[in-house]
Amino acid sequence: MDFLRGVMGSKPAGPQPTGAETIQKLCDRVASSTLLEDRRDAVRALKSLSKKYRLEVGTMSMDHLVRILQTDRSDTEILGYALDTLYNIVCNDEEEEQDDSEEENQQKQEDDLGAQFTDKFIQEPENITLLLTLLEEFDFHVRWPGVKLLTALLKSQCAQVQGIVLVSPMGVSRLMDLLADSREVIRNDGLLLLQQLTKGNAAIQKIVAFENAFERLLDIITEEGSSDGGIVVEDCLLLLLNLLKNNSSNQNFFKEGSYIQKMKPWFEVGDDNSGWSAQKVTNLHLMLQLVRVLVSPVNSPGATASCQKAMFQCGLLQQLCTILMATGVPADILTETINTVSEVIRGSEVNQDYFASVNAPSNPPRPAIVVLLMSMVNERQPFVLRCAVLYCFQCFLYKNQKGQGEIVATLLPSTIDANSISAGQLLCGGLFSADSLSNWCAAVALAHALQDNLTQKEQLLRVQLATSLGKPPVSLLQQCTNILSQGDKLNRRGSRVQTKVGLLMLLCTWISNCPIAVMHFLHNQDNVPFLTGQISENLGEDERLVQGLCALLLGICIYYNDNSLENYTKEKLKQLIEKRIGKENFVEKLAFITKHELYSRAAQKPQPAFSTPEHMLFDHEFTKLVKELEGMITKAVLRSSEEEKKEEEVKKTLEQHDSIVTQYKELIREQDSQINELKKQVTALTSQTENLESTITQQLSQIQQHKDQYNILKLKLGKDTQQAGNQAEAAHVNGLQPEELSQLRERLEEVQRQNQLLQTQLTEKDSLITSLKAEGVPSVEDSTSEVTELRKEVEGLKAQLQSQTAEITQLQNERQELLRGSEPTVAVPAEESVYKEKIAELESRLSAQTTENQKLKGEVKTLLESKESMEKDLASATSTSAILQAEKNKLQQEVQESKKEQDDLLMLLADQDQKILNLKQRLKDLGEPIEDEDELDSRDQFEDDDEEEEEEECDE
Amino acid sequence: MAYAYLFKYIIIGDTGVGKSCLLLQFTDKRFQPVHDLTIGVEFGARMITIDGKQIKLQIWDTAGQESFRSITRSYYRGAAGALLVYDITRRDTFNHLTTWLEDARQHSNSNMVIMLIGNKSDLESRREVKKEEGEAFAREHGLIFMETSAKTASNVEEAFINTAKEIYEKIQEGVFDINNEANGIKIGPQHAATNSTMGGSQGGQQAGGGCC
Ligand SMILES: Nc1nc2c(ncn2[C@@H]2O[C@H](COP(=O)(O)OP(=O)(O)OP(=O)(O)O)[C@@H](O)[C@H]2O)c(=O)[nH]1
Ligand SMILES: [Mg+2]
Repeated sequence: MDFLRGVMGSKPAGPQPTGAETIQKLCDRVASSTLLEDRRDAVRALKSLSKKYRLEVGTMSMDHLVRILQTDRSDTEILGYALDTLYNIVCNDEEEEQDDSEEENQQKQEDDLGAQFTDKFIQEPENITLLLTLLEEFDFHVRWPGVKLLTALLKSQCAQVQGIVLVSPMGVSRLMDLLADSREVIRNDGLLLLQQLTKGNAAIQKIVAFENAFERLLDIITEEGSSDGGIVVEDCLLLLLNLLKNNSSNQNFFKEGSYIQKMKPWFEVGDDNSGWSAQKVTNLHLMLQLVRVLVSPVNSPGATASCQKAMFQCGLLQQLCTILMATGVPADILTETINTVSEVIRGSEVNQDYFASVNAPSNPPRPAIVVLLMSMVNERQPFVLRCAVLYCFQCFLYKNQKGQGEIVATLLPSTIDANSISAGQLLCGGLFSADSLSNWCAAVALAHALQDNLTQKEQLLRVQLATSLGKPPVSLLQQCTNILSQGDKLNRRGSRVQTKVGLLMLLCTWISNCPIAVMHFLHNQDNVPFLTGQISENLGEDERLVQGLCALLLGICIYYNDNSLENYTKEKLKQLIEKRIGKENFVEKLAFITKHELYSRAAQKPQPAFSTPEHMLFDHEFTKLVKELEGMITKAVLRSSEEEKKEEEVKKTLEQHDSIVTQYKELIREQDSQINELKKQVTALTSQTENLESTITQQLSQIQQHKDQYNILKLKLGKDTQQAGNQAEAAHVNGLQPEELSQLRERLEEVQRQNQLLQTQLTEKDSLITSLKAEGVPSVEDSTSEVTELRKEVEGLKAQLQSQTAEITQLQNERQELLRGSEPTVAVPAEESVYKEKIAELESRLSAQTTENQKLKGEVKTLLESKESMEKDLASATSTSAILQAEKNKLQQEVQESKKEQDDLLMLLADQDQKILNLKQRLKDLGEPIEDEDELDSRDQFEDDDEEEEEEECDE
Repeated sequence: MAYAYLFKYIIIGDTGVGKSCLLLQFTDKRFQPVHDLTIGVEFGARMITIDGKQIKLQIWDTAGQESFRSITRSYYRGAAGALLVYDITRRDTFNHLTTWLEDARQHSNSNMVIMLIGNKSDLESRREVKKEEGEAFAREHGLIFMETSAKTASNVEEAFINTAKEIYEKIQEGVFDINNEANGIKIGPQHAATNSTMGGSQGGQQAGGGCC
């Protein structure tokens, strides 16, 4: 401690050690002392010397300090000192007063020193990783100086340190945790660190966003009171800007995360006028910038459009318009708000329509557009504000045909409203006022009302202006050229060139791509001579731009000329140029526009932003027009008339060719569609063919399968009929063993099923037979008794017949006798007539009996017949029963057989079971563990194939 | 738009396998035929519906090139889902899956749902990796699997939505700590409200089903 007092304290006697010597000693102690306390004291001493002896401490102690960071991790105090010391030697922004009045480039040297030490420190990328690890230490004495050191390193060697942090695992994520630190100092310094870290590094910006930075930052802003908050809000906003500027991925994430909606309350500043502190102005300014970043014209159109939509939907645009119309808003906030509104509405129809509907709370209420234009043409308003209004007006008209029409309409005789100030009136007033800035702004504003809009270009030609009393009205177009041609007599506040440039830009925009306007322009005899005069004159430096623009205007008169004015056809104008100006000269003058130093700046972005009012010369949209026309006009002027004619011819033939080509194209298109049709057909047919092929294949494989089955069956059949013992065949059949077994099982089952079926059939048939028998026996008996009866009857009839025959014989005999007796007794006629009567009677009785006999005979015959058929019936019934009996016998036999078969199979199975058991036993005996039964079973079968085969064959 | 949940996804895999195209197809329904090398990461988002709930997907499409590996690793930890993509027409991209998976497992939270995607399924004639191989890899490593085509849009929706379904199920099972945003899941601002209305409408649907 003594020597410390020597260094720092009042002068003791004796030789003073130099700073360097002291630092060397301290470094030695840091490096070699085994006592923590001793090391800690030495580091503390280094720290206190590190500002005054920055170079020495930096050069000599850095390595030692790094080693302390590596090894003394457990002592937060020494870590804190070491980090502080490193911070002091690396850090550049020394707020403290420099000792004495040293040289001016002191600060420069300091910067170099910081960069030098930073380089040395990050030469070992491990050092940054080490620092990142230390930041995880919660202790304030470590974390705070750690944050400051890393910030300082980033400040002096941004890209390199960013690179190292980016590749250290979870490096960026860890730094994000600083925002969650409850100690404000650390959180705030963490914000500064993240600002440095994210500067210009898209990869880091994205990771920070991924780690929910938007959410946390927006929360902090709200907690701190939004625009009324302090510098923390400012720092959050700066970090947000870093994350979003030129980072489309993060912008998209911001929009998709619905954070735009969270911005809206920022702008609820209202009219309460609680005062506009410098901090509040800064905060609001940054907030507006954030909005602009999201809808910047340089973003992709789709991205900007979706943000614009969100801003309208959540009411942010409406809120901004409230600020626009509020009183007491500081001018630069107002200006930035106008610029912001401009970009929020640019090219978005819905937003533009809304903007057109906004009214200022004046009495009577006026459209916001009118109020703004009043500021634009008001010389007393700040320049930036006037530029902002112009920008707003341009953005309102950008891709807005409806808006363009509305503005132009306020100038047309039919729609003019004399009672109130209109946008058109203000613009005309500005165009011809005595203030060059107003002239320029009004001319450009009017040009934007005509941009890409042929209708409005033609409409504006109708506008007539009353100049002074008594004189006839003059057209707006003519008035513009009149003012132009007044030349040096033009009396303007500001710059004459500015007025001329503004008017020329308006005229060029107006008549380009509009032959009628060209004709109107050429119709005035003074205009062309004026232009040629301007271009050919030898004017000073500042007029050369005007010459260029005049050349452009004349060029447009040639290019968009429809040759309807005889004196000023394309050809005549070109001859005029050749004669009065010279082609080369003309082209050179024309080329001056794009060579102007302010041209390229205006071409960069749409916003009219000029460092001074004098620089206000080019309009962004106009630079596009120049780019488009310059080449074409140059070509048109340089081409000779012959060339032109030739070209015309070529054009014609080309057109012819074109029509031929079109025909061919048509043909090709037709053929193409035919081809397509055919292709489709081919595809359809191909797929059909494929389908068919696959069906065929399927069928083929089925057939093959069937064949295989058939073969197997055949094989089996063959095997069945063959004698066992054929080795080759046996081997072959062995292969089928398990399959066969299952087949056998199946067959067994089938046989059993059949068996059952047969049995039921049998039972059925048995019962049928029984019933048949029961039916059949009585019927036979019946018929027999009937037969007997019939026989009896027949017998009776026979007897009757016999008796009658006998009677007849007797009667015949009697008659014979009578005949013989009558011969002698002929003489007795009476007796003879009696006999005759008796004979007749007998004869009739005989014939009656004969017919009766006949009838009986027929009856017998039918009876006999029926008897016969009954006998037949009986016979067939008997034979049926016999057949049934036979069938029954057969079936019984079959059942017997299948039973036997079944028994055989059962026996076979039993055999196998036995065998399995044996084998199991054997395996057990051999000490083999017995596995799952089934598995073993199957394996068993494989092993015993041969035997089994034989057995099976025997069985079959 | 109000959502019930927000899930963060990452898309990883070798360069040229079609990660950016998958994202573009999912968010914009477009296909980009030229390879636009991704530098670092690109963001994309879309809303989907699962189980009647609005779910916002925030997707970070990472660069597959080796030189960006250290940057892209920063995104693993905060993601709830990952699409690990290979190209079925390039076997090397399939062979690298193990490395990708190791990397992901090492740097992500353990619950991260990983969907394995075999992309460019439209290029059947140039296929080098069989579908079965993808399935086997997924099975072996406990991933969900799908083959997609960013060109024809086949299965692209499904890939993103099925991953979300898996995460959603894990939430229902209480596996995810949804209050820790570091897991890549956030509850929507009106979740409670959405919940109750959803319950009501589901009941209504059931009643409707009953009467039909
Ligand atoms: N045919 C076909 N081509 C695809 C498909 N997906 C992507 N491609 C093509 O593959 C190429 C690479 O696609 P990218 O999406 O840019 O690849 P990436 O994975 O994002 O590559 P990195 O950004 O380098 O990691 C492009 O040319 C795509 O057109 C697909 O499904 N089918
Ligand atoms: Mg990509």
